[in-house]
Amino acid sequence: MRREDKIAAEMREKLKEKIIAIEVPRERRIFAYIKTEALKESIKFLKDMGFKHLSTITGVDMEDGIELIYHLALDGSIELSLRLKVQKDDPRVPTITDIIPGAVLYEREVHDMFGVNFEGHPDLSPLILPEKWPRNIYPLRKKYALERLRNIIFKEEDIE
Amino acid sequence: MSYGSTIKVPFGPQHPALKEPEHFLFKIDGDIIVNVKPRIGYNHRGIEKAFERRTYIQNIYLAERICGICSDAHTTCYVQAIEDLLGVEAPPRARYIRVIVAELERIHSHSLWLGIAAHEIGFDTLFMHLWRDREAVMDILELISGNRVHYAMNTIGGVRRDIVSETIPKIIGSLDFLEKRTKYYMKVLRSEPTVLKRTVDIGVLKPEDAVELCAVGPTLRASGVKNDVRGDDPYAAYDEIPFNIVTDDGCDVFSRILVRCGEILESINMIRYALDHMPSGMLRVRVPMAVKPGEAVSRVEAPRGELIHYVKSNGSTKPERYKVRSPTLANIPALCRMLIGQHVADIPIILAGIDPCFACMDRLVFVDVKTNKKKALDFESFRKIVRRRHELL
Amino acid sequence: MNLLKWARIKSPWILHFNTGGCNGCDIELLAAFTPRFDVERFGILLQGSPRHADILAVTGPVTLQVRKRLIRIYEQMPEPKYVLAVGSCACSGAPFKDCYNVIGGVDKVLPVDVYVPGCPPKPEAIIDGIVKLIQKIEEEKIDEKGR
Repeated sequence: MRREDKIAAEMREKLKEKIIAIEVPRERRIFAYIKTEALKESIKFLKDMGFKHLSTITGVDMEDGIELIYHLALDGSIELSLRLKVQKDDPRVPTITDIIPGAVLYEREVHDMFGVNFEGHPDLSPLILPEKWPRNIYPLRKKYALERLRNIIFKEEDIE
Repeated sequence: MSYGSTIKVPFGPQHPALKEPEHFLFKIDGDIIVNVKPRIGYNHRGIEKAFERRTYIQNIYLAERICGICSDAHTTCYVQAIEDLLGVEAPPRARYIRVIVAELERIHSHSLWLGIAAHEIGFDTLFMHLWRDREAVMDILELISGNRVHYAMNTIGGVRRDIVSETIPKIIGSLDFLEKRTKYYMKVLRSEPTVLKRTVDIGVLKPEDAVELCAVGPTLRASGVKNDVRGDDPYAAYDEIPFNIVTDDGCDVFSRILVRCGEILESINMIRYALDHMPSGMLRVRVPMAVKPGEAVSRVEAPRGELIHYVKSNGSTKPERYKVRSPTLANIPALCRMLIGQHVADIPIILAGIDPCFACMDRLVFVDVKTNKKKALDFESFRKIVRRRHELL
Repeated sequence: MNLLKWARIKSPWILHFNTGGCNGCDIELLAAFTPRFDVERFGILLQGSPRHADILAVTGPVTLQVRKRLIRIYEQMPEPKYVLAVGSCACSGAPFKDCYNVIGGVDKVLPVDVYVPGCPPKPEAIIDGIVKLIQKIEEEKIDEKGR
């Protein structure tokens, strides 16, 4: 059995019904879809298994919610993308910085771009958005088309 | 000169009254850094949103311009992600060419960085020598691709240009030259007392901290951790080309210099091997315009470290979502950790040590913990203070 | 010819400012000051402070957050001052023109004297742009202020 399949099997055994789906599309790539409440438990379990490196956290604005994808690496080799979904109005998940301190800036970035609240994060102040950026306008949300964002920003500029 | 309540430092171009966000907020106690808070909005252009607006082919040229120093790393990472979605593989010859161009870029990037590091230490002559010698690799890149920066070699399904046999003797000649020069610079750097004083035991990052904070690239490897995407998660032709992953156990800025020098030498050998063993055949395979729904994760070892792209496709000619995480961002938590307890005068060389995109490092703010006074500086003014201070010591 | 103007033409001092570009133009601009191209032999120096600069060489597509700072730097330069837009981004915003955080082109914020297109322009092209700017300065009429 490939290492990746073994990992998938161990995840199913440990997390049981909290796993919605797991796929191994090719070598060194695993995509797992879990229930939102299983986030911290999954991260802890995966870290103990050796997935100590968090490459980044991706946010995706889908019609039925905001997807958060945690990209973890085992020995820098196998990349596991752990996905969960949060509701769009008032999106929130617990922080994982207590388990993986390296997540600190990735959570800030997703907060900037999507408005997701990472509960327990030491400091969710803006990371990459400029100082004058209007609050509550999350640029990577689909409802903001590029033109609309440009109109918002350049109008704000005139206000100064 | 003290950084206590009587701060006498020249201001940069910014007017003191202009309230602007700092990129690094340093809490200092006298001369020692107590805490660091990053806020890196300088360069934010909004590229990820722009990706959703362009076709997969147009996005190659956007990805390339995320960074001018590691543009090939970004295009390689990008085309691999799309090839993954499409279920195609670039032909063997294309994969070898990708390695050659990527390693040439690594040599150019590390040489550039060595010059900048020399400049930070005050060795402007060394900076000039390094950048002059670096022209050898810029010439090869121009010979192969037609441009010195932004080579546009990669496309979805392969590469756009061949490395023709007539160019190979010139390439080998330049590599031989670069190898000799790099070995010379390593000797100089290892034996110069000023270099050693400014970099040994400075900016120490313990291996367990590097791993815990998810550091990448030479910063990680200079703390003894043997991770490199080319070896751990091979792509292009890296699984067919032997090479050593360069690490050092020193965990300080000096180690980071040694690792990058070592990597230049490794890259030279890899290019020689690749040219010697280059398979013949097609340069690219045909691919469709629209990409069926799916997702992919692509990783590449850029000169600064692990570069990761994530793509989600929706069946159209444009991506649903494109995410880019550059290696510099991954190293900022580690950078903050290695700054704590260090002297303010060592800030420039420690910052430079992680090889950041220069724009990120533009603006520094200092807060004295005893008096709670805030002072902002631009990097040039700060560098002058640091130079003066090191001369006095 | 006025002595001050002669000195200014013979050795213009350049202040380089990146407004959020990819750094491609910055490294080619810097390369112009290294031995292969050696623009310094013409007396052209890279300056750290706007107060001593004659020419502001701007790279990048001008992001929102940098706009005020760019204007501030320009204001701090003594007259007469000139602006060189280096690279396609500085000329027009190039690939980032429609990005939400990009104003697009230095001339939307400052008066530009010479445009050097390219992505990035080669050091030779940048030097050529500087030379064209010097020629432009030479051709300017001398006004009452004794410029």
